[in-house]
Amino acid sequence: MIDVKNLTMIYPSGKGIFNLNFKVKKGEILGYIGPNGAGKTTTIRALLGFMKPNEGTCTINGLDCIKDAPKIQRFLGYIPGEISFFDDMTGYEFLQFMHEMRGLKDNGRQNELLKLFDLDPKGKIRRFSKGMKQKLGIVTAFMHNPDVLILDEPSSGLDPLMQIRFINLILEEKEKGKTIILSSHIFEEVEKTCDNVIIIKEGKIVNYSTVQLLKKSQRKGFIIKPDNCEQAIQTFLRSNFISNQLNNDSIEVYCSGDRIDEFIKTCAKLKLYNFDEISQSLEDVFMQYYKNEGVQQ
Amino acid sequence: MSLALLKKDLKQNYTLFLIFLSVLVMYMLMMIPMFNPDDINELLIILNMMPIEMLRAMGFSDIITDLTSFLASWLYGMLMFGFPMVYCIILGNRLVSKMIDNNSFAYLLSTPNSRVKLIVTQGFFALFSLLLLFVLVFSSGLLFSHLIHPGLLDVSAFLKLNIMTMLLNMVIIMICFTSSCIFNESRRSSGVGSGIAVTFLLMNMLGSSSLDLEILKKMSLYGLYNPVDLVRGSNVTGIGLFFLGLIILLFTISVLIFNKKRLPI
Repeated sequence: MIDVKNLTMIYPSGKGIFNLNFKVKKGEILGYIGPNGAGKTTTIRALLGFMKPNEGTCTINGLDCIKDAPKIQRFLGYIPGEISFFDDMTGYEFLQFMHEMRGLKDNGRQNELLKLFDLDPKGKIRRFSKGMKQKLGIVTAFMHNPDVLILDEPSSGLDPLMQIRFINLILEEKEKGKTIILSSHIFEEVEKTCDNVIIIKEGKIVNYSTVQLLKKSQRKGFIIKPDNCEQAIQTFLRSNFISNQLNNDSIEVYCSGDRIDEFIKTCAKLKLYNFDEISQSLEDVFMQYYKNEGVQQ
Repeated sequence: MSLALLKKDLKQNYTLFLIFLSVLVMYMLMMIPMFNPDDINELLIILNMMPIEMLRAMGFSDIITDLTSFLASWLYGMLMFGFPMVYCIILGNRLVSKMIDNNSFAYLLSTPNSRVKLIVTQGFFALFSLLLLFVLVFSSGLLFSHLIHPGLLDVSAFLKLNIMTMLLNMVIIMICFTSSCIFNESRRSSGVGSGIAVTFLLMNMLGSSSLDLEILKKMSLYGLYNPVDLVRGSNVTGIGLFFLGLIILLFTISVLIFNKKRLPI
């Protein structure tokens, strides 16, 4: 459905994206992840036809993203990373305007979405909060029932409840066979919705795998309170787990996703007073990934 | 052309349009009663009291004896392009580069409309709004003259004068529009567009104030024709066609550049 080949786009600063290759099949959801400035939005600019690449091509449903951009837009929904509306319009006027620009009349789906996100788009958009603007962006991207969705950090600014509703919306769309590229920093969102994940850094793909594989590679951290810290550290070391003394009665231990069973069995050898998981965000996952990269180099 | 976008442009810019329209119509309403065929000599005395350089710079240099030349000199010698110039700068910037700068153009491009279609619509709106502005200014001139000095206005000369001034303003808005299509930063776009327009205006004013500097006026877009000579029958078809050619050329360049360029949205 989406096919990116040798895509290279270089800015005058020398930054950009270099020789990207990936495919997204129909019905697949691809997580597109990377730190700020990695080239996520740049890739999306090429897919939307905003910028012509220096080299390479990208196509959606066989249509060239630059030449056939208007045709592609018929079945594409897009949430910009930095949303900006026409400030002097009210929310309703904006939605109405987008319908007209798309040449559509039916706004049944629009009303469903407004209800889902609890959004009453009366009043000037200028007065909207960040979260309301984001919701309006989501409604705009989904309201014409597009087959392909390109979402650039779609849930930034949403409260946790709305983030859950958004995840459910994505899952619902997935059921309908929609193809989605989701650029996100929220691990839960990617974990729950995506089939595959691309991690991009400095314009290059550094990891392209399924979510399961990525989760396996995720290092988990635990804070435990044993009766004897010295002894606990030695025990973990013998089983090849890295641990550090945190303060005089706690230590932290790290364990890769595929060694959980071994880890718990090692813990069973100790006497523990407390056991906490260090919650990890997606950033930690790719931070760790980059660190590994560094070691390999 | 996108009708929906045109409607949005209209909604978004009608206040700006009305402000400029009302000022121009107000000037028309003020100037027409000031013409008094009997008092024309008194006016000449006042004019003679002022330094000739200043009068020339303001475009009031010619001796006026009829209503049409009076309006051509007092209104169309400076005000009817000096003032709408500000409108051209603001609108030219609003129609493209401002929306690129604040990212909202992304929403126009995320609809099944090509860049060419969108930008032709924006350019058309710019030109259409000036057409409407001058149709209304012309009509108000016609109406007030008829009410205040029935029969004194040379309608066909006054029409020619308005068409010419409109074309001149259209060239200016196209300069601003082209600049708006080239530059992604709103500040740059309006800086370059207004820079060019203001330079032409200053060249015209300086060139009019002294015979030594007349070359400046001749090189300025604003000084290519003399409005008083125009209403007195001098042939300006060539310059009119030149303006028209320039409008088409600038519009084409804008569309070509915008269609090809990288948009950082």
